[in-house]
Amino acid sequence: MSEIHLEKIDDYRWRIPKSYKPGMRVPGLIYADEKLLKDIHQDKAPEQVANVAFLPGIVDYSLAMPDIHWGYGFPIGGVAATDIEEGGVVSPGGVGFDINCGIRLIRTDLRYEDIKDKISDLVYALFNGVPAGVGSKGDIRVSPKEEKELLVKGAKWAVAQGYGTQEDLECTEENGAISGADPEAVSGRAYERGKAQSGTLGSGNHFLEVQVIDQLFDAELCDTFGLDLGQVTIMIHSGSRGFGYQVCEDYVKNMVHCLQKYNINVPDRQLACAPVDSPEGKAYLSAMRCAANYAWANRQCLMHLTRLAFEKVFASSWQKLGMFLIYDVAHNIAKIEKYNIKGKEKNLCVHRKGATRAFPPHHPALPERYKKTGQPVIIPGDMGRNSYLLTGTEKAVETFYSTCHGAGRVKSRTASTKSTNLNVLLKDLQSKGIIVKASGRGTIVEEAPSAYKDVNDVVNVVHNAGISRRVCRMRPVGVIKG
Amino acid sequence: MKKNYEVFEHTADIGLKVQGRSLKDLFRHAGSAIFALSCEKLHKAELKKSLILKEKADNLDELLVNWLNELLSLSAAKGLIFEKISIRKINEQQIEAEVLGTDISNYKVNTEIKAATYHQLKITRNKTGWQAQIILDV
Repeated sequence: MSEIHLEKIDDYRWRIPKSYKPGMRVPGLIYADEKLLKDIHQDKAPEQVANVAFLPGIVDYSLAMPDIHWGYGFPIGGVAATDIEEGGVVSPGGVGFDINCGIRLIRTDLRYEDIKDKISDLVYALFNGVPAGVGSKGDIRVSPKEEKELLVKGAKWAVAQGYGTQEDLECTEENGAISGADPEAVSGRAYERGKAQSGTLGSGNHFLEVQVIDQLFDAELCDTFGLDLGQVTIMIHSGSRGFGYQVCEDYVKNMVHCLQKYNINVPDRQLACAPVDSPEGKAYLSAMRCAANYAWANRQCLMHLTRLAFEKVFASSWQKLGMFLIYDVAHNIAKIEKYNIKGKEKNLCVHRKGATRAFPPHHPALPERYKKTGQPVIIPGDMGRNSYLLTGTEKAVETFYSTCHGAGRVKSRTASTKSTNLNVLLKDLQSKGIIVKASGRGTIVEEAPSAYKDVNDVVNVVHNAGISRRVCRMRPVGVIKG
Repeated sequence: MKKNYEVFEHTADIGLKVQGRSLKDLFRHAGSAIFALSCEKLHKAELKKSLILKEKADNLDELLVNWLNELLSLSAAKGLIFEKISIRKINEQQIEAEVLGTDISNYKVNTEIKAATYHQLKITRNKTGWQAQIILDV
């Protein structure tokens, strides 16, 4: 339970004053409405927002999106930008263990009527074709020499292997490969831990979902994206698997010692950090980028396997089924981005820990096709309710072009397991036309819809606060879990 | 048998409380708890491999985090679940242990624990022994 008194700025913005805790360099700012605020007060996330405000070089605010919940170090749903010139730091805890955990959305030309009698077949084909579960291993083999190439080339590596197209890369953040990845900054253990996990979904909240568009909010934008009511979409949520966990672990271990070395005062050692410009900061970013590229290659491979499964069920090529990538975006990452701060262009290190980048229309980093629309922003919900496609807005400059990343948990995994009956849940989902298949029965109850906030409430806040714009909403019909 | 650990509520992750009569027990119980929490054995199998672990740290908190993370990392990298943990030497700054592992295929892994964190980490000592509180990222 959080005791922090939040100052209301407007209906969607709440401030934690700098005076709340000595040592805060900037105030905290939480995006929420009255309803979500009740959930946010239930755990220790607001305290974590205040703790992040201690980071050297932090600019403007320690920010939190409406899906925030208690994490370790950073809250999940936290955003912090640090000014590199002013000794700004990078913190591995501000990215998390699952580096470049992210999401991709694929459109199809299929309509609900085309799949409604085949959902079981589809779920079965996807479950068989896409390795899922704890420590799952895939058929996509990568030799040690290729692994280094994969870490530098990311999704480009996967496309070069025949697992996708140039167009897929254009529709992926950083074209699927962030520059500055140095395989030499990665430990041997990370290689070993990530071995044979390319093209695997993983477990926990990772999923693959077949969805149907059930509401349009902006007809013009939907037309541009080629989306309409009743159309089938696919969402893939996964990250850098064991490889990323090890990179984070290696560098937290190292950076705990940087706190003393650089005389940094933070209230939680999980916020261990080092100046971006220090040898430790540079080494972390070089390794983190390898993990980010690993994740983009992974999601590209997962999309390839998904396309194959659809081809099998519909006896048609994925191109004929119109299975084109809308976008792929990370929600656990630190990026160096340029912002105008008090009239001066600055290089900031933007940490997004459970937050999605949301660039506005005409941003130079966007591919030509999205220059007018703004960046597609993909927000998954829980397996029983909805997911969203949004776009970035100019107003989001106040959040360093960041927005929410999902529904956000409200219930712990143990509480969810205790309060959920698997058979009742599966029946309930089935009555809503949702078929779920998971490698572990435990995952389904841990991930029950009641463990999450309502994504509709979360998206209302980011839309009404103006930091993203609603395009359309999807409902799930087939869910694959780890 | 009385459990040497208990789980406490955390919104996204797992909170773990462990106790032990000695530092050696505390570390052994914490190590066993992470595997007990994540998996269940499907059938009997021989202990396959013995590994020696050595960890150093500046203080006890770091030592516990490093120890648990090394166990998790080694388990994932080698595909082993560590059933038997014998601590040979321990003080507040170093640990040396022998761990015996069984191939992961003999287990059903329910929860993937990514790592042990420093968040709200607490190690205390009283008349009856040692206690630790630690949050695991899952």
